[in-house]
Amino acid sequence: MSMSAIRWFAKCALTSALILFACGLATAWFGNGLELPATTTSDGTLTTLDRYVRGPTPNVVLVGSSLTFRLKEEYFSTAGVRNLALAGGSPVTGFEIVANQPHLPKIILVEMNILSRATDKALVEKFSNGGKADPLFFRPVRTAVAAYENWKHKPPDHAQIILALDRLLKQPPSNFDNRVYADRAFKEMNAEDPTVAAGINVMHIQHLLSAVERRGTRVQFFELPYSDRLEESRSVRITHEIVHNAFPDPDRWLKIDYPRSELRWSDGVHLDERSALIVSQSIDRALVSMPGSM
Amino acid sequence: MTFTSWQFGVFAAIVFGAYYLPPFRAFQVQLLVLASLVFYGYGQPELLPLLAVAVVGTYLFLILALRNRRVWLPAGIAFNLLLLAFFKYKFLFISSAAGNYTGIATIDFLLHLPLPIGISFFVFHNISLLVDLTKRKAAADLTSIFLYIIFFPQLVAGPITRAETFMPQIKPKYLADVPFVEAAKWILVGFFFKLYVANNLNEMTSYMDFPLYETLRTQDRWLLVFLYSYQIYSDFFGYSAIAIGFGLLFGYRLQINFNLPYIAQSFSEFWTRWHISLSNWLRNYLYIPLGGNRHGTLRTYLNLVIVMGLGGLWHGAAFSYLTWGLMHGLLLVAERPFLARFGKINWAAFRAIRAGFVFFCVTILWIFFKLPNFGHALSYLHGMFIPSTNPNPPKLFYDLALLYSLPVMLQHLLPQERFGKALQRIEPYLYGAMAALMYLEAGPDTAFIYFQF
Repeated sequence: MSMSAIRWFAKCALTSALILFACGLATAWFGNGLELPATTTSDGTLTTLDRYVRGPTPNVVLVGSSLTFRLKEEYFSTAGVRNLALAGGSPVTGFEIVANQPHLPKIILVEMNILSRATDKALVEKFSNGGKADPLFFRPVRTAVAAYENWKHKPPDHAQIILALDRLLKQPPSNFDNRVYADRAFKEMNAEDPTVAAGINVMHIQHLLSAVERRGTRVQFFELPYSDRLEESRSVRITHEIVHNAFPDPDRWLKIDYPRSELRWSDGVHLDERSALIVSQSIDRALVSMPGSM
Repeated sequence: MTFTSWQFGVFAAIVFGAYYLPPFRAFQVQLLVLASLVFYGYGQPELLPLLAVAVVGTYLFLILALRNRRVWLPAGIAFNLLLLAFFKYKFLFISSAAGNYTGIATIDFLLHLPLPIGISFFVFHNISLLVDLTKRKAAADLTSIFLYIIFFPQLVAGPITRAETFMPQIKPKYLADVPFVEAAKWILVGFFFKLYVANNLNEMTSYMDFPLYETLRTQDRWLLVFLYSYQIYSDFFGYSAIAIGFGLLFGYRLQINFNLPYIAQSFSEFWTRWHISLSNWLRNYLYIPLGGNRHGTLRTYLNLVIVMGLGGLWHGAAFSYLTWGLMHGLLLVAERPFLARFGKINWAAFRAIRAGFVFFCVTILWIFFKLPNFGHALSYLHGMFIPSTNPNPPKLFYDLALLYSLPVMLQHLLPQERFGKALQRIEPYLYGAMAALMYLEAGPDTAFIYFQF
């Protein structure tokens, strides 16, 4: 190799090393505290889980699928509620991650609607016990964007949130025509037979349940409402039957009460924003009325 | 094995180390063939016999065609096209989910085989080999033919090198002749475009998939089409650049596959800048044999549409790909009468408008690439022209989209004549920065888009 080529490689390697060194130094000084913008739902999942394992242990944790994902934490008036629902994931994944933490919340609420998906073992592995290891380097572009977004769009304060939620509740239920999506969702959920997967997940839940209850945490199950049509689909009916046969004790189930006629499912499956708020508030009320709660 | 896996890094280092050792000098071609078989068989060992059948079959047809070109050349081409048609288009006629089709174990086994990675590329290599060598009446040994067809940097996604440019390069190679800096530049820029640009943009453009696109706001549908345009360029340019870089490390100069395609001022110019090796292949082995522009205007137009339509179908057995190809063919036809007149107008603004128009049309047509289901593609396109009503659209970070697209924009828009010298001075630092960024900001690993073809 010629001298000029060696010089070229030296300059190239030095620049690269300097940038890595600068990013490593910045990470060591400032940490990885800045929440990076999530570009996909899986990105959002990682952010949520990361926030959970780094932050203080909350009082109440919800674990679930994309159905529960819609229940935003700011919808709850109960202090210290964390929503660990994973869009596109299984409630058992979140449950197992919570169960594997050294400190447990007082109450774990487990969604029992979607049990046809397997546990994400890689995610459980990543966020269980040793999952808090900080990366050596931050991502410079994402961190810059996160800093800019935080500066430009400051999160609303508590009063602003209350006002916005009040305004949302005062609106009439949405009249969005979701027939196309509802038909498609019905077809998909009617074609699915969750018997095997739900059976495995129920056994896993039983195991996790006794493990966390031995450590003093209370576990309550809940089911989020589907539209009338979807309630009739094969997958929903089978799952409902399996979970209620496995856990017949009515005290194990959170008693949530909501005005069903007010609820809407914009994409045929998931609650729209206003409906999610209504259901969240009903969960709030159920939590307050739980004996010995909060 | 993909270029972005650590296994490939280890594999390439071992092969490179052994390749230039004096005891192996006499076996360099054999070593590369062996390495290419390992590279190809790493993920799908069951497809190695197919590769062997394709290469040995082509070799036999080559020997026969050297004796009687009229009979055996068409037979050799038909053999390769049948191979391609069997694997690529069989699912048009049979269901992939069905169990046994015929009840005959061997045939059912063949019918169940997945689409071999890179089959579209190595079949085109085979045809090029048959045509070029029989034209020049040049025989070649089986090992050299194996190397030309399965040389691992170009095996799965090109560039589609012509036999007449590759075969003469098969000779002993020496470490002292390796252009290390040039190879490093290709490899670094390739990985940077794949890992930093394409993989990060892929996270956003995944919202273009069905049914996610139904939740998008109208303006986001537009944005994502443009982001996909940058993504597919970065993905394929990245792959081709890495292939060229590794080719150079082993002493082979592969054809440059991209030359700033998004600044093309006409559709015909676009096809001299985008996937150049495929355009050349289609021109040499399809357009010219069909008569090219030698039989009058109407026949020329027809040839253009046929070639582009078949070029579309080459990508996959879907109506979307055919539409994509035919639309490109029609655009080539539509612009043809005006090309000479427009070429005389030398205003910068007019040239910019032309380039902008070509880029816009090319970008819109990528929808048919991204969504091979024709209904989904039309539905996506339709949604770009009506206000969205979905109450829960996903949030896209425009600033992030801009920062991940920036390398493509800068590469295309920075005037070379003004910044060329300055860039040359800071070149090693620039490549060093790219190396660091592609490590720090790499998006989640995804397969190269052209692997599916």
